[in-house]
Amino acid sequence: MAEAHAISEGRRLTRTSAASRAGAQTGRKATMIGLAMPSILLMALINAYPLGFALVQSVHNGGLLRLGKFIGFRNYLNVLTDPAFWSAASFTLLFTICGVFGSWLIGFGLAILLKPQFPGRNLFKVLLLLPWIVPIVVTSMSWNWLVATPGSLLPQLAETLGFGQILFLADPTMAMITVCLFKIWISYPFMMMMGAAALESIDNSVYEAATLDGANSRQQIRYIVLPMTARSTYISWILMTMFSVNDFATIYLLTGGGPVNATTSLIVLAYRSVFQDFLPGYGVAISFMMTIVLVALSLLLFRQVRKAKF
Amino acid sequence: MNGKSGSMTMNRRSFLGASAAALAASAAGKVFAADETLTFWDMVWGTGATYTAAAKELAGKYTPEGGALGVRYQSIPWANWYQTFTSAAASGTTPAVSSGAAFLPFYFLEQGVAIAADNLIGKLDKDGKNDFLPGLLPAMKTDGGYAGVPWSMDLRVIWYRKSLLEKAGVEPPTDWDGYIKAGEALKKIGHIGLGLAAGSTTTDAQHTVAALMINNGGGFFAPDGSLNCVSDRNIETLDFINELVRKGIIDPYAASYTSDNLASDWKSGRVAMGFGQTGLDKTLPQEIKSDAVVAHPVKARHGDLGTVYYINSLWMFTTTPSQESSEAFLAWYLDNMHVYWTSGVAIDVPVKKSIADLPIIQSNPNLVLSINEWQPVGKTIGAQAPHAFAALNAVDGGAASAAFVQQIIQGKTKSKDILETLEASLRKVVQ
Repeated sequence: MAEAHAISEGRRLTRTSAASRAGAQTGRKATMIGLAMPSILLMALINAYPLGFALVQSVHNGGLLRLGKFIGFRNYLNVLTDPAFWSAASFTLLFTICGVFGSWLIGFGLAILLKPQFPGRNLFKVLLLLPWIVPIVVTSMSWNWLVATPGSLLPQLAETLGFGQILFLADPTMAMITVCLFKIWISYPFMMMMGAAALESIDNSVYEAATLDGANSRQQIRYIVLPMTARSTYISWILMTMFSVNDFATIYLLTGGGPVNATTSLIVLAYRSVFQDFLPGYGVAISFMMTIVLVALSLLLFRQVRKAKF
Repeated sequence: MNGKSGSMTMNRRSFLGASAAALAASAAGKVFAADETLTFWDMVWGTGATYTAAAKELAGKYTPEGGALGVRYQSIPWANWYQTFTSAAASGTTPAVSSGAAFLPFYFLEQGVAIAADNLIGKLDKDGKNDFLPGLLPAMKTDGGYAGVPWSMDLRVIWYRKSLLEKAGVEPPTDWDGYIKAGEALKKIGHIGLGLAAGSTTTDAQHTVAALMINNGGGFFAPDGSLNCVSDRNIETLDFINELVRKGIIDPYAASYTSDNLASDWKSGRVAMGFGQTGLDKTLPQEIKSDAVVAHPVKARHGDLGTVYYINSLWMFTTTPSQESSEAFLAWYLDNMHVYWTSGVAIDVPVKKSIADLPIIQSNPNLVLSINEWQPVGKTIGAQAPHAFAALNAVDGGAASAAFVQQIIQGKTKSKDILETLEASLRKVVQ
C-alpha cells in the first residue's frame, strides 16, 4: 500500500514537473517569438509585400499607376504564346550556358595555372580579377568603344586582317556572340576565385602520391582535381546560373537587347515590358516564370552538390 | 494703456470680424503654411548643365502675387525618367508642375493624376498671351481637355554639311530621288548620306523613320486613331529607306549606334546628311558649325512634305497645394522663358510667336527655315490621328519601335513584312 502510494506520489510529482517544464518551454517559445516578431514583420514588409503585390499585378491588366481588371492567368498565357518570350528564353539559355561554362573553363583553368608559386603570381591574380572588380558601366563602355563603330579597334583589326566588315553589335548573330563573350570576360574572375579556393583544399600529398603512382597532369586533373573540387564547382555553377539569368546590366548596357531583339534575355524582356511597353502585369508574369525555373534548376544542382563525394 | 491688451483679448465683435476675414481669405484662396511652395520638376533640356542653371535662375526670379505660392525648382535627369515619374505618381509625390517627355502629360491626364490646362489656356487667351505657333495647341487637346501647354518643340529637320555636298558635286536634295542621288555621291567620297542611331536604348532612328513616314503622307495610325502601320504609303517609305540601305547611304553599323556614336560621326564629318534636332549645329565643333545647314523640306514620292515633331510641354499634377498657384506660375513662366533662347541654352524650336520673332532667332537662318518651312508640315508620331494620346509613350522608344528600325537597317526583310511585325507588336501596347 505504501509502495503504491509512493509510486502514485512519484507520478504526480513527475506530472507536475513535466507540466512546469512544458509551461516554462511555452513561455520561452513565446519570448523567442516575441523577440523575433519585429524581424519577421520587417522581412514580411520588405520581401513578402512587394512579392505579393507583384503577384497581384501579374493577374491584372493595369498600368503602373492603376491595377486594372482582374484577368486571372491571362498574362501568363499571353507570355507563353508570345514568340518574343520564347526567343528571349532561347537567348537566356545560350547566355547562361556560355556564362556558366565559358567562365568556368577559363576561370578554373587559370586557377590551376596560378596554383604553383612563381614570381609575380599575386600581381597576375589581381590583374585577372580586374574585369570582376571594375564597375559594369565602365567595362561595357570600354567594350562599346572597342566594337561599336567602324573606327573602333576590333572592326579595324578585322578589316586589316582581311575578315572584311564585321558588325560586332549591329548584326544579330555577331551581337549574340559578342554579348556572350562579354559575359564570359566579366565572369571568369569569379570562377577563378572559387576554383582557387577549392584547389587550396586539396592536400599536396595527394598530388605527390598520384605522381609516385605515375599519373600525368591530365590524369591528375581528371581523377583528382575535378572530383575533389566538385562540390565547390557545383556551387559556383548554381551561383553563376542565377547571376546569368538575372543579369540585366551586361546585356542592356552593351546592346539594349538588340539588334532586332537578338540579345533580349528574359530579364531584359521583363524590364522592357514593364518600363517601355507599360505592361507591368505581363512583365511581372515573365519574372515569376523565370523565378520558378531558377528555383527548379537550383534544386537540381543542389542535389548534385549533395551527391558530390568530397 | 488702459490695461486692456488689444492683441490678447477678443470681444464678440472682433471675433466676428476675424471670422469674416478668414472666410474672405478662404474664399479668395487657400491659406498656406509659411514655408509651403510649389515644386517644379524640370528635365535637363537644351545644352544640359547650362540650361539647368538658367532654368533654376529663372524660377528663382518668380515672385508670386495675390497670395499665390512661390516655387521650388528641381532638375530631373533623363536617366530612368519614366520610373521617376510613375513611381512618384503611384506614391502621390508628384510635383505641382512639371516638364517632361512629350506624351507623359497625356498618360497622366488619362490616369487622373494630372489636371487639364484649359483654365490656364483661358487665362493666356484673356491676357493676350496665347501666341503659340499654328497646330501646337490642337495637338495637346484630348477628350479630357488640354494635356499641357507647349514650351518648346523637338522638330526633326534635314541637316547637311555644305562643304561635303560641294565636294561630292551635288545639290542639297529637294525630293526623295534627289536624296538618293546626293547619298550616292556622298558614299563615293566616303561619307554617310543618312546618319542614324538605331541602338535599342536610343530613339533617334525611330524619329527619322517616323519623319519619313509622315513625309510620305503615312504614319503609325489612321485618322480615326486606330493602328495603321501596313499602308501603301508606309510600304513606299520603307522601300525608300531600304534603297538607302542597299546603296550604302545608311551605315550598317547604325543598327547598334547610340546617340553619342552618331554625334561623334557628325563631328568627325563621317555623317554628311541626315535628320536632326534644330540645335544640331550647336553640338558641332566651332570650326564646322557654320558648315551645317538645314535643307528645305523634301518632297516624298507623291509630292507630300512632312516631318515629325515632339511638343515639349508643361503640365500640372493634382498633387499641387494650390491649382491657382500652379496656373499663375506657369503663366508667368511661359511669359518669361524667352531667356532660354536669348541666352542660347535652348536647342529646340520656340513654340511662341513672340519668341520666334526675337532678333536672335530671326538672325539664325537655320532656325528661321525650320520654323517657317518645317514646323508647319510637322506632325506628332500619333499621325495620322488628330491628336496625341497616352499610348504613344509606349510607341515612342518602346521595344517594338526599336526592333522595327533595326530590322529596316538589316535590309533583309520585305517592307510589308516589317510593317506587319511592327503592327502586331504595337497592338500589344496600343489598346
